[in-house]
Amino acid sequence: MSELVLETEKLDKVYKLGGRQVRALSDVNLQVKKGDFISIMGPSGSGKTTLLNMLGCLDKPTYGKVILDGVNITKVPEKGLFKIRKYKVGFVFQTFNLMPYLNAIENVELPMEGTKKSADEKKKRARELLKMVGLSEREEHKPNRLSAGEQQRVAIARALANNPAIVLADEPTGNLDSKTGYEIIRLLGKLNIDQGTTIVMVTHDNNIGSRASRMLFLNDGKILAKEKQGTHIMKKELTCPNCGREIQPDDTFCPRCGKKL
Amino acid sequence: MLLVVIALGFSVAIMTSIPSGITANQISSQNVAQNLSNAITQTEATINQTLTDISCSLSSGFTGYGFRPGGNFGYSFGASVMNESIYSDINSISGVTAVVPILQVSEGNNETITRFGRTFTRLVPKYAIEGIPLNSSLISNYPILPTSIIAGTNLQGGKSGVVLLSENNTRYFNVEVNDTVTIPIGSQFTFKVVGVYESSGVGTSALTLYMNLSDAQTITDNAGKITSLEVFANNSSYVTQIANAISSLHPELTVTTAQERLSRLQSMQTEYNTALQNSEAVISQTQTTALEEIAVTVAATSLIVLVVMLYTVRERTKEIGILKAIGFSNWNIMSQFMLEGVLMSLMAGVVGIVIGIVAAPFLISLLLPHINLSGALGFSRPGAFAGTSLSQPVTIMVSPEMILLTFGAAALLGAVGSLYPAWRASRTSPMEALRYE
Repeated sequence: MSELVLETEKLDKVYKLGGRQVRALSDVNLQVKKGDFISIMGPSGSGKTTLLNMLGCLDKPTYGKVILDGVNITKVPEKGLFKIRKYKVGFVFQTFNLMPYLNAIENVELPMEGTKKSADEKKKRARELLKMVGLSEREEHKPNRLSAGEQQRVAIARALANNPAIVLADEPTGNLDSKTGYEIIRLLGKLNIDQGTTIVMVTHDNNIGSRASRMLFLNDGKILAKEKQGTHIMKKELTCPNCGREIQPDDTFCPRCGKKL
Repeated sequence: MLLVVIALGFSVAIMTSIPSGITANQISSQNVAQNLSNAITQTEATINQTLTDISCSLSSGFTGYGFRPGGNFGYSFGASVMNESIYSDINSISGVTAVVPILQVSEGNNETITRFGRTFTRLVPKYAIEGIPLNSSLISNYPILPTSIIAGTNLQGGKSGVVLLSENNTRYFNVEVNDTVTIPIGSQFTFKVVGVYESSGVGTSALTLYMNLSDAQTITDNAGKITSLEVFANNSSYVTQIANAISSLHPELTVTTAQERLSRLQSMQTEYNTALQNSEAVISQTQTTALEEIAVTVAATSLIVLVVMLYTVRERTKEIGILKAIGFSNWNIMSQFMLEGVLMSLMAGVVGIVIGIVAAPFLISLLLPHINLSGALGFSRPGAFAGTSLSQPVTIMVSPEMILLTFGAAALLGAVGSLYPAWRASRTSPMEALRYE
């Protein structure tokens, strides 16, 4: 489990803003192992989103390397980047960004357009993913008939459609109330544990960020040396010590036997 | 979106209508030209054969020329009746071999027309009755009956109660050879149809039904009356002499010789040619206008698509960002927007073709005011063609080929118009597009 999925080397990003140069990232060295659940925390303007865009091929670094699943994506020509976005990366956004005119299952199928999968295979995969995020009952609903939390679940299912090497989540709970936010972070934790999904999440919310397994801190475009262990509950702890049945990471009482955990 | 489709639809409708109008205009002019040249050729030929023929009729206030199928050219409309006793006076002039008394009566509706500031009343004939003495030696030796029989037989000498109809007559009365036809003049009279001749001529010639003179006099209540006389000389060199003799004997008669008719025909021919040339000039001018209008419409259509698609791309920037973030290629996005542009144009094509079919005549009268679909050429002499229909008005038809062509054009213009917007969409930076609200 020590295989590196994502690695950055001396990543720099300089923006020109009205003739002034703004250094959004400086000398970022990051290593993400397969199965990691990393949160990158920092105040707004610290360069979190810039870093995430760089990792997901939405933006090019000014200097440095990004190696994703063994490919140096900074060397990939513009024309080839869509393939990396399609097959290697899954994006989860703060504003969900679902297609309003497509229903849940169609939204999940969308990234599979243009892949070799048949229509039936796409549908099957999308059903499977919606079941995984707990939305089997809502397949035919359009985003405007789903709650914010449900929309984000659809977005997570969509991110997983092509079985990406890494899921990049940009403030995934930023538009949700704290209760729904917890549900989403729990879902991400569960996917990380059950499916082994590698997740890099950006947030400024300490309560959310602390749910990852590793917490990194970004300030003024630099990764701070201090790195914290998150309170991410490992798989063994996800069963009730009393009755042995599955529990959710945040449960204080076992929903089956009612015993305090 | 609906408004855009309708707006585009109008452009497409114009694209469909104009060529249809031009085609109709050409057909109309060709019809006129064809009919004119037929009439001229036919009449000329017959007159050359029968230079010995002299027509006599009473002068009347109304002058209207008409062709008769034998090529005879005389006064036929509104001509006054005269006593048939005049026949013997003329028959006794030396050099005259035959005199054919004729009674011609046209039946139809009176119509008032105003041309060049003057008002004329003209008879729009439904049919014309021509009574000819069915005398075997007359009808076999002189060109007084039509020769091109297409069904049944021609009129025979000594017969009565029989008619020879033109093709037009058979349609008007809805009868065939050997049927009985009822002619409703005052009281009704029935005749047996012995034959049908080809109505290739123009004007009343195509509407004339032939019968025995005495039958015609009876049914039109003109006992002992005739409207004209055809006089034949035994040699063409006597024609002028005989014409002068008739004039001095009966100064009230208008006497026309075949020679005179020929020269009058020639002057009319000149008039036809001028009219045709004018009409051709108008057509070429109309075509130029039409080309300009089509060019403007084509440009406008592409421009509408361009502007609408640019707006759409801008409005859907965020969507483009999302699609790119989840792995859509530039080509995917470009083809998506191109397809939308083409689909929009095709929808506009359907709307446009419907508008075109319904409103083509109106659109054409609006866009091409010079166009002439009535089939009438601008003759300088009012009444010259009174009662004649040189061509049938042409209706504007949007042909199936035109519909296909318009569809193709709409798709093409949609593709052209959405090319740049789609390219811009595909070039959008995903990061910036995602930030766009």
